[in-house]
Amino acid sequence: MELNSIKDAFDRVTKKQKLSSSKSQEVIERICLEIEQALSRIELTSQLDQKSILAELKMKLKEISPLGQLEGTQKELNIALSKYPKLLEKSFSPDISKAHRNIDFDVHTVNHIIAGHFYREGLFDLGDCFVDEAGEPEAADKKSPFLEMYHILEAMRSLDLEPALTWAGVNHEKLEQNGSDIELKLHRLQFMEILQKSGRDEALKYARTFLAPFASKHMAEIQKLMACLLWAGRLDSSPYFELLSPTHWDKLSEVLARQFCNLIGQSYESPLSVTIAAGVQGLPTLLKLMSVMTGKKQEWQSMKQLPVPVDLDREFQFHSIFVCPVSRDQASDENPPMLLSCGHVLCKQSITKLSKNNSTRPFKCPYCPFEVQVAQCRQLYF
Amino acid sequence: MEVEALPNGNSATAAAPPSAALLEAAAAGTAPSSKLNQLTESLKLEHQFLRVPFEHYKKTIRANHRAVEKEMSAVISCVSDAADRDLSRDDAVQHLNSLVSRLQGLKRKLEEGSRSECLQAQRCKARLDHLESADTENLTEWNSTRLKRILVDYMLRMSYYGTAVKLAESSNIQDLVDLDVFHEAKKVIDALQNREVAPALGWCAENKSRLKKSKSKFEFQLRLQEFIELVRAENNMRAITYARKYLAPWGSTHMKELQHVMATLAFRSNTECTTYKALFEPKQWDYLMDQFKQEFCKLYGMTLEPLLNIYLQAGLSALKTPYPLCWLLKKWPRKTMAKSLARGQVWSVSTRTWSRRISRKSKCSRLI
Repeated sequence: MELNSIKDAFDRVTKKQKLSSSKSQEVIERICLEIEQALSRIELTSQLDQKSILAELKMKLKEISPLGQLEGTQKELNIALSKYPKLLEKSFSPDISKAHRNIDFDVHTVNHIIAGHFYREGLFDLGDCFVDEAGEPEAADKKSPFLEMYHILEAMRSLDLEPALTWAGVNHEKLEQNGSDIELKLHRLQFMEILQKSGRDEALKYARTFLAPFASKHMAEIQKLMACLLWAGRLDSSPYFELLSPTHWDKLSEVLARQFCNLIGQSYESPLSVTIAAGVQGLPTLLKLMSVMTGKKQEWQSMKQLPVPVDLDREFQFHSIFVCPVSRDQASDENPPMLLSCGHVLCKQSITKLSKNNSTRPFKCPYCPFEVQVAQCRQLYF
Repeated sequence: MEVEALPNGNSATAAAPPSAALLEAAAAGTAPSSKLNQLTESLKLEHQFLRVPFEHYKKTIRANHRAVEKEMSAVISCVSDAADRDLSRDDAVQHLNSLVSRLQGLKRKLEEGSRSECLQAQRCKARLDHLESADTENLTEWNSTRLKRILVDYMLRMSYYGTAVKLAESSNIQDLVDLDVFHEAKKVIDALQNREVAPALGWCAENKSRLKKSKSKFEFQLRLQEFIELVRAENNMRAITYARKYLAPWGSTHMKELQHVMATLAFRSNTECTTYKALFEPKQWDYLMDQFKQEFCKLYGMTLEPLLNIYLQAGLSALKTPYPLCWLLKKWPRKTMAKSLARGQVWSVSTRTWSRRISRKSKCSRLI
């Protein structure tokens, strides 16, 4: 963004301000000097001269006209001071609340979200402070799971896998259900650590107790690890040196954090930061829309849907949308997408219409010569 | 309906009604074509970020200048006073000496003032630099700082000062948030919470010219409340004198409210008459607090709503596309949040426009 002109304008302000303040300084000094001169003259002269000296001082000060002197620089400063905000208004969107509709957010919900955000980011002190100050003691519920997660991650950072392994052990079934192999990965890392630090025998013992249960599913992986035993002591020159890479730790930490959030029913990224980031991206469009719609404020306030799509980046698109090519309606729970036996997809309502609501009556697919029956159509889940 | 008239592609734009074309243009303007363009657009939202410290800076400059002017003219008039009077020699010396020390005091004050001016100029500068530092490379970090700034803004407006300070300090963004500006507001808000109007009146006097320019009646509302408190204490004579002195000047512009409040003299605080009972309710103080926050924000060029609310609403509107919503409600807490956050309806992206766009692409596409 072009900030140079704004910077220049601001530099002008500071320059004029400095000029003006040094000018005041100068004027004050001058007056001071005059008065001091008058003083010394009074002290020097013996007779009743003070009256004429004071009168002279008065004349002199009038001549200097200090306020008049300040006026010039002040005027320039004022011009700079009023120009800068005008420039700001021109280069930025002066009022981003224009596109804001008066829908009150529930303060408690917002506070809960903020507290949750702090805990999620591992800023526990800050979260506690906020919960305290905002008077939302219930919001502290979100703390303990994240406390556990950061405890595990902290331990991993100091190369201690114990808490992570305990957690994985406790949640063994859930992890398996999710199809996650994080438990094996943790054991693998631990195995390599033991192999490096305590030698072959310990590693083998560890493998027997902890790796064996994974044999049915991850044989190849375990074979690799067993081969590592042969290279004990000179692993870095082995074909398996890649397993020693410290990036495994970082990667595994991230995977663990994701899995952890998943198990406690939270998204990995803070919902607050995602929503705010989406807001930053969407707001320019909304503001532009607002300026197009000026004069139709009423319409705007009562509108249920936005008249324009607000494009967001891919990172904000969490799910694909299916739109029926026949009815052009977006698929919904009541009107789900259905797969025809020929491989084309239509929404349920379109199929009902095409088949005249008769499940055994065949109809032609609108996109290919195939004849299909409603009974053979299957619902699709995106 | 306008939505129906939306052109189904660029070819039809010429024939479309002008308003629809404009809408399309508005939408096309922020197509996620280039990251840089998007960044520029988002930086344009940062008006308040630059404006608030500048207003503060300007205020300090003005106040310092006024102090200098006042003191200087006082000294000059003192000199001319002395010249007109018949002073003894000792008196004259003493008089002049006192003037010299007064000027020296002024000089010190001026130095102090310009130091704080410099500090504030630096803050303005730091913000400009921060905006300039935004780049497509450091975007993640910049965005996280932005979120923190937005959160601090929210906390300051909600009077959670402790957390605000803590957050600002722990992330080292003191120069990027308006802690000291809100510190000024805190004094007034705290006083209003304790049922004191004096600091608020002081604030009004300080910003008299600007409040007058925006036709604010905040001072009048404060005076009304003070009057009500006198009536509540059954201090009727004082209430009447107070009204003569402070309420009467507002008669020309706010006669109705003035009459309304004067009638409380007849109804008193234990009245059951709803029109007047409302005036005695403690809620009035909360209302004054809100009013103050609004005036305060206006004065500094801030948005009246917390930034957090503005971005949240926009974000929810943009994220809330109908179909994924119902699906995600089951799965994602983010969306649960969307549901509970908005008591009313937040916008959703028009289904129709979406479907048009997508159907053009997905028509006839084989899924398997």
